[in-house]
Amino acid sequence: MADLIAPEPTDPDPPAPGPLATHPVTSLLIGLLVLASIAVGLATPLYARIAPKVGGFPFFYFFLLVLSPAVGLVLWAATLLQRRLGDPAGGQR
Amino acid sequence: MSHVNATTFTVVVALCILVTGIGFAAARWRRAQDMMHLNEWGLGGRGFGTFTTWFLLGGDLYTAYTFIAVPALVYASSSIGFYAVAYSVIGYPIAFIFLPRLWSVSRVHNYVTPADFVKGRYGSRSLALSAAVTGILATMPFAALQLVGIQSILSVMGVGSSSTNTYVKDLPLFIAFIVLAVYTYLSGLRAPAAISFVKDTLIYAFVIVAVCYIPTRLGGWSHIFDIAQAHYAALNPATGKPNGAFIPTAKKTGSTQVDFITLAFGSALALFMYPHVITGTLAARRRSTVKRNLSLLPAYGVLLGLIALFSYMAMADPVTVANVKKAGNTQLAVPYLIQHMFPSWFAGLAFAAIIIGAMVPAAIMSIGAANLFTRNIFREFFKPDASPRLETRVSQWASLLVKFGALYFAVELPHTFAINLQLLGGIWIMQTVPMIVGGLYTRWFHRWALLAGWLAGMIVGTLAAYRTSTPTTSHWASSSDNLFGFTIYIGISAFVVNLVIAVALTLVLRAFKVPEGADETLPQHYTADPEDAPEPGIRLSQLPTH
Repeated sequence: MADLIAPEPTDPDPPAPGPLATHPVTSLLIGLLVLASIAVGLATPLYARIAPKVGGFPFFYFFLLVLSPAVGLVLWAATLLQRRLGDPAGGQR
Repeated sequence: MSHVNATTFTVVVALCILVTGIGFAAARWRRAQDMMHLNEWGLGGRGFGTFTTWFLLGGDLYTAYTFIAVPALVYASSSIGFYAVAYSVIGYPIAFIFLPRLWSVSRVHNYVTPADFVKGRYGSRSLALSAAVTGILATMPFAALQLVGIQSILSVMGVGSSSTNTYVKDLPLFIAFIVLAVYTYLSGLRAPAAISFVKDTLIYAFVIVAVCYIPTRLGGWSHIFDIAQAHYAALNPATGKPNGAFIPTAKKTGSTQVDFITLAFGSALALFMYPHVITGTLAARRRSTVKRNLSLLPAYGVLLGLIALFSYMAMADPVTVANVKKAGNTQLAVPYLIQHMFPSWFAGLAFAAIIIGAMVPAAIMSIGAANLFTRNIFREFFKPDASPRLETRVSQWASLLVKFGALYFAVELPHTFAINLQLLGGIWIMQTVPMIVGGLYTRWFHRWALLAGWLAGMIVGTLAAYRTSTPTTSHWASSSDNLFGFTIYIGISAFVVNLVIAVALTLVLRAFKVPEGADETLPQHYTADPEDAPEPGIRLSQLPTH
């Protein structure tokens, strides 16, 4: 496909200012939500404990089971926030 | 165990026939004008919506081997096996960061494989080859282990195990696999996509019933956890140490927390690098489909967590413990538990769920590996002018080859060989993270630096895995190594070596102004959301650049 590439890929239509510039608060919030859901899953020293027990489940096992739907909800919120950015591809619908 | 329960057997066979019918009928699902194109055969027309993608990726990520191996690991060693639950949770936020970009750029440029992207981004055939070879190497043993999962179900069912002849013994496995190979050949990705609806419905039904019902037979969750805790605390007569850790421990000696964290993080990072997972992702219709799925897929994490807890139920059931001990194979813990706890028709349902749960990912893995071979080895190095039709034909045959290779692995070689290779596969596939994830964000890395980093990571990871040992195993004993007084997942340590070399060499190569290769992508391609799938055979110059 080498014949298809201009030597200097020029951009005829320079991209608009990024979402970080236009919506700094929303962008930072999205970043925070995503990073927090990664960090919580890796904070093993904090949740690797037996007490308190929840419904017979030691905390470690209870936490891991609850973590999945919680992360799902957080990512859903992040997706909704991304629509507010007017991100051309953020999934307007 | 030569006694075969007729009811269980009938239910399993009936459900397998049902999914076979679906597999063949899938060729007509969303029928395209021309099926002989990789976008159709290999990616199901790139038109799956949120609902189908959820089932397809769920069927793809949570494999039968996972359902057998994770509880087996917990049953045999310790709570470290629960890292699988943690990684399947954090894998989604990690993918949320880069996966939509990979979908967009692949859609704009008609990329079918991750190595296609590497080629387009860096203009380097050798770097793309390294991504393709890693993907194929990591996928083959994974597909083989799906068969090992089926074998463990069949052996508990008592099917064929009376004969000592391998081919008679594994005849049901051969039949199941030949049928799977034929309908995948014909229907492509549409077959596993359609079957994944059945697979996930069965798995959810079975797991929900099992977690509600089995604890009532075994004295409740508290009692089950107490037995597990007591089992781990008891001293192992062979080593004089406790059997395992009930929760990951932070003690100075024998800490398992660092191991747990590095395993979870490394596996999560590698999860969306596997070719079969990328195949499932690229089949999605829109960018928003991918994003939406990343918030819906964690629902399967609950399922995996509950399945991991089956190991504790198995420990609390004396009949299962005795059966596992007699068979000498901890991978049979969950099948034996199912067989002992449920009426035979329901056991049939559960067994069928696991068997079908092996076929769906095995089919997608064979398609993903076949696409890599076709696009990045066959077309790239042997037939650059291959027509879409020829590409599809080659992929169809390659998928058969991958499946029969997997069958050979599962039947002829010791299972430990496939397990070790799968362990290595996870370490290997992580070494493609810098070129793929890095490339999605920056063109700063130099192609030769990435290639050198990849090679170093592969060698370091393989050697480190080879050197691990336990008192009973001299090599390939573990996927974790002791470094600086901590037990660390080898995938992570090799990845760090890879990244350091890639950064250092990039600085050097840039200082010497070594040619960087052409980049056919533009920044806006990474956020694009084209409504229509790219036309088969479209030329880049005809594409709109916005």
